[in-house]
Amino acid sequence: MKIPRLTTVFVSLFFFFAILSCQQGERQQATDLLSDSLIEADVRLDDKMIREMISSIPNPVEMSALLQKSGIVYSQDLLNPVNNINNYNTNFKKALNLGVYGTDLVYMNIYDRTISTLRYLSNVRDLASDLRVEQFFDYETLNRLSESSRNIDSVLFITNTGFDDMSRYLIDQNRGNISVLISYGTWIESLYIATNVQTVPPKSETIHTRLGEQKKILDNMILLLYTYRNDPYFQNLIDDLMELKVIFDDVSITYVYAEPTIQEVDGTVILVDNSSSEVNISEETVEAITQQVSYIRNKMVE
Amino acid sequence: MSEEILKALMQLFAIIAKQDVGLSDKEREFVENFLKQQLNESAVKEYLALFDSFIQPNKQKRQGDSDKPQKPKLTSVRDSVKTLGIAKKINKTLTQKQKVVVLVRLFELVNTDRNFTSQRMAIIDTVADVFNIRPEETEGISDFVTKDNPHELDSPDILIIKSGEKPNEQSHFIESDQLEGNIIILRVNSVDLYFIRYTGVSELMLNGLPISNQRIYLFANGSVIKQPKGKPIFYTDIAAKFLSDSSAINVSFEANNLGLTFPNGYIGLRDINLYEYSGKMVAIMGGSGAGKTTLLNVLSGIDNPTNGKVVINGLNLHQDKEKVKGIIGYIPQDDLLIEELTVYENLYYSTKLVYRDLTEEEITEKVNKVLTSLGLFHIKDLKVGSPLNKKISGGQRKRLNIGLELIREPAVLFVDEPTSGLSSRDSENVMELLRELTVRGKLIFVVIHQPSSEIYKMFDNVIILDEGGHQIYYGNPVEAVIYFKEIDNQINSDVGECPRCGNVNPETIFSIIESRIVDEYGRTTATRKVLPQEWSGHYVSKLKKEKETETQNYDMLPEAFKKPNWLKQMKIFFARDLFSKLANTQYMVLNLLEAPILAFLLAYVIRYIDDPTSDVYIFRDNENIMPYLFMCTIVAMFVGLIVSAEEIYKDRKILKRETFLNLSRSSYLSSKISILFIISAIQSALFVIIGNSILGIKGMYVEYWLIFFSLSTLANVIGLNISAAFNSAVTIYILIPFLIIPQMVLTGAMFSFDKINRNIGGGREKVPVIAEVMPSRWAFEALVVNQFKNNDYEKQFYHLRKLESELNYKNVYYIPELRGFAENYRAAKMANNPEPISKDDMQLLYNEVTKENKSPMASTHNIIFENTHLLNLDDFNMKVHNQLMNYFSKLQEFYRDNFNHINNRIDQKVTEMVSTPEKREAYQQLYNDYYNSYLARFAKNSMAPLPLVRLGNNLVQKIDPVYLSPQDRNPLSFRTHFLAPEKNFFGNLVPTFYFNVIIIWIFTIIAYIALYYNALSKLLNSLGLMGSKAGKIWLSIQSRFNKTKSVKKQ
Repeated sequence: MKIPRLTTVFVSLFFFFAILSCQQGERQQATDLLSDSLIEADVRLDDKMIREMISSIPNPVEMSALLQKSGIVYSQDLLNPVNNINNYNTNFKKALNLGVYGTDLVYMNIYDRTISTLRYLSNVRDLASDLRVEQFFDYETLNRLSESSRNIDSVLFITNTGFDDMSRYLIDQNRGNISVLISYGTWIESLYIATNVQTVPPKSETIHTRLGEQKKILDNMILLLYTYRNDPYFQNLIDDLMELKVIFDDVSITYVYAEPTIQEVDGTVILVDNSSSEVNISEETVEAITQQVSYIRNKMVE
Repeated sequence: MSEEILKALMQLFAIIAKQDVGLSDKEREFVENFLKQQLNESAVKEYLALFDSFIQPNKQKRQGDSDKPQKPKLTSVRDSVKTLGIAKKINKTLTQKQKVVVLVRLFELVNTDRNFTSQRMAIIDTVADVFNIRPEETEGISDFVTKDNPHELDSPDILIIKSGEKPNEQSHFIESDQLEGNIIILRVNSVDLYFIRYTGVSELMLNGLPISNQRIYLFANGSVIKQPKGKPIFYTDIAAKFLSDSSAINVSFEANNLGLTFPNGYIGLRDINLYEYSGKMVAIMGGSGAGKTTLLNVLSGIDNPTNGKVVINGLNLHQDKEKVKGIIGYIPQDDLLIEELTVYENLYYSTKLVYRDLTEEEITEKVNKVLTSLGLFHIKDLKVGSPLNKKISGGQRKRLNIGLELIREPAVLFVDEPTSGLSSRDSENVMELLRELTVRGKLIFVVIHQPSSEIYKMFDNVIILDEGGHQIYYGNPVEAVIYFKEIDNQINSDVGECPRCGNVNPETIFSIIESRIVDEYGRTTATRKVLPQEWSGHYVSKLKKEKETETQNYDMLPEAFKKPNWLKQMKIFFARDLFSKLANTQYMVLNLLEAPILAFLLAYVIRYIDDPTSDVYIFRDNENIMPYLFMCTIVAMFVGLIVSAEEIYKDRKILKRETFLNLSRSSYLSSKISILFIISAIQSALFVIIGNSILGIKGMYVEYWLIFFSLSTLANVIGLNISAAFNSAVTIYILIPFLIIPQMVLTGAMFSFDKINRNIGGGREKVPVIAEVMPSRWAFEALVVNQFKNNDYEKQFYHLRKLESELNYKNVYYIPELRGFAENYRAAKMANNPEPISKDDMQLLYNEVTKENKSPMASTHNIIFENTHLLNLDDFNMKVHNQLMNYFSKLQEFYRDNFNHINNRIDQKVTEMVSTPEKREAYQQLYNDYYNSYLARFAKNSMAPLPLVRLGNNLVQKIDPVYLSPQDRNPLSFRTHFLAPEKNFFGNLVPTFYFNVIIIWIFTIIAYIALYYNALSKLLNSLGLMGSKAGKIWLSIQSRFNKTKSVKKQ
């Protein structure tokens, strides 16, 4: 049981750290690129851009950790049932649900629900293998991780580069679409879990704020998908997101700039970003988002 | 003779005597003498009184009524009725032989006074008639009793011994110069009895008792007539005369100076000489360990002598085996019966095997005739049963055993201890049966132990052996007693048999031969009075005759009997085996149920529903399919072995006998194999139907059956090999694990070939050699590859996925790995490393680039590295490095684009297949029912720690073996990596399934050849010899070593 358990940890961390570290720098460019005119234009994003935009999609770990920290109860019912994997036959479906199962795995792991993680792990492996990206889940790496699991920083590094490697690889291989779909699945599943957990006011505040922040990510997502709009399946996804975008239009975000400060932590000098953003989101909007996200997500996993 | 019979006889005598002229004194004297021979003094009086009382009612003293004219009276009706009654009564109790004796006595009675009136003769005729004695024989007896002049006795049933000329045409004749008068011998053919009477007055002795010229004697087996002067006349001489012109072939059988030394140096036989011809029965006797059976085996041609030869009609038995074989029959001590068959069937199949030309009716008739003559007709439909589970008696078994040989009428018959374990009654029956055969001109050798007097006297000759294979006597059995008594200086040494009862006690001989010296306290010591070599010396000096110079005229040996041709033999063997199996209900039921029950157990236990919330069994989710395939191979091996492991072992005694029939071994084996194959075919079908349907393995019944069947049949033949080579059932069953467990270990299912000891070939590119000889590995591989590749789901994608896999491997693992070597060079060069690349790495680059140049995909698209000759340590430089890197980039680009292309095609195909909900439903069903994900994982080796490994200076692919065609396309290299989808067969690619089936059948053929030549048993024997030699060498080394040690000590 040792290795599977560690494997689970690894896969969860993989998703967790993949995006976490890369948010800072890319935010600017991603928002700059986003405009209505751009969507109308015939854009072909270059590979580097796609890679950076994919990196900007928030990691499911962030959401799950937030939920857990806020003391919100774990809900098994929200997860995509294991046996649904049988329904995923095409690469399109497989890539989307690789993201979904990955997110579920992270969610379970953060909550330490390890009983059924093995099966989710197996699903992730199967899908990865079917998509021919199994080399990023190979035994060698898993072993290296299990050996260094006590050193959380090195695990972080490996998983992070791992995901980055995978998307770079896919893009290199002219299979950026797969990468985009995995990211999309991950993101939608995170949103789905966050919007559907049972919350009560003081706690829901933070979550709603975080939800409102996804407005920027949504724009990025649409832009990514737009690259492959010739594919009718992609077009479907875009259509769904456009409806979501209409709802998100009601969310307003105010960015408050503050000077960064320099601090010394454990003898190392670091730069602390003191800027913050203020999110305004109404209950009705949350409700509407919840409904649309559920609709998109359920269509995705069926 | 019972009281009742004696009474009846008295009545008969009386009826005859009182007719016409009435009883004469001589006649009364005859009756008295007759009674004296049977009874003691007082009883004689009693019966004589009884006889008188029967006479009394109309007793007419001839003296008193002599003056009255005698009217010829007809036999009174009352007497006739009485006669009939008595004769019928006697009929019920006496054997035919005894009845003949009674008839002779009646004639004798009349003859005493020579009053052959018509009434007396009429009564005798009536009796003979009721006794069912043939009229011509009755007449013969009558002539024999009444006529004294040899000239009148002109019949082939008469033998006359006299001096001078042969008296007439037809009768046999032995000349005896010094004989006074005539000895006349009558043979009663129907019962094979000889009667003797003497017309002279000199004192002749029959078996040591004087012969009266008034009387007629029964001349029994082993009898001897001694005359005051001249040679004794033996029974065999007489019998031989009668038989010399019977229809049976004449055989002369001669053994000259036979000697046998065993491989261990022990001498089994020394200088044995004998000369026999048709119509004799010869006993081979001796204490235990004297070499009786050894002699029998040498004489019958089973064993070869070290010295001397056996000559049959001028042919050397051991050299012209093929010519002589057919006329020799051998009846071993053990049973040769097939227990499951009836008495009739046992004989029936033997007959069929022997006679080619007979029709079914003729065979039935023949069998019935033999059964009748064996006295077994009434039990012909009883099953023989085993000696423990008796259905028929021991004597009946023995007689049936003899019958098996009789049916083909061999001219020379060897019988090993026919009476052992039988009651004295049964023993006598059996021996009489053999004795009767000699009448038909057979020469019979019998090894016998402690025969009763009756039996002992049946022999014509006896060979006595003493310890160490010395021949110490050869000659007439009764003489033997006298001979040994004489040497032992016993009183009465000239009397061979008990004068009163005629008994001969052969035990006397052995007590004389083996008598031991008594010490001063009267205790017998272990030392023998007369050593075997001394006995042998006596024999040589006193008795041993030079071979008679007059060589008998013997016939040409008949052609070996007309055995059926190969196919017919096979059919008969087949039928015999089949019916014996069908008759064994337990065997049939177990064999037929074994496979389905195992299949049910196995399949039902491992059929499970993966999803705890669901009630629907899904084949795709069953993790146990691979283990099931593995178990299939093991069960097939096991079932196949068990069925066959005892087959030949069980038959070995019968086989030994059948070697004398010169039957084809291959037809025997083929019949065995056909039956086993049929059983295996049924078992396989039952197993596969039940196992596969329970587990939901769809649409592959035929393929599974073929593999299961092929493996079972191979196991059958292997089992036959063991059963032919080993000599106990326990050994055979101990061997089975040795055959099965390595198969389990080296199938590739339990232990991956990448993870077994490197010393036996683990972790190489190809399957280890040791596993290549495991039939189960071929079967398992065929099952896995077939199940994975040819199921209804995968077969729609297999060719695309195979391509995709290759492209992916090249693109993702292979080219990057090669690049790595080149990049290392560059880095080392930059760092001014004097040796930027090792010789091995350079060699690897050369090897792989050369291979890649030849690979069909890249070469057809003309992506080739021209300068492979520069890939060596001397010529490789930055320029070449850049070319190489350039080449790699081109290659990788090519593989990437093609991979994407194929990947898209597959995706499009799937997308199309699920484009509507109905289609999607169908697709899902197909996928669930036919594709097993766990088996796929195994076949694709998804758990491989490394996708490729470096072995020597080559890179070897480890993932996706089931998509990887064999890399080594050398026409002669048949071996591949495990689970290869195709195999290289002289440069062509053959699907693994068929290839592996062929391999299994090749194994079967090899095993069959080994079986045919009995290779395993020969191998074991030579190993045994080597072992004993090695042991001897080891002992001698040890003793030398010990000597040197002791020398050193001194």
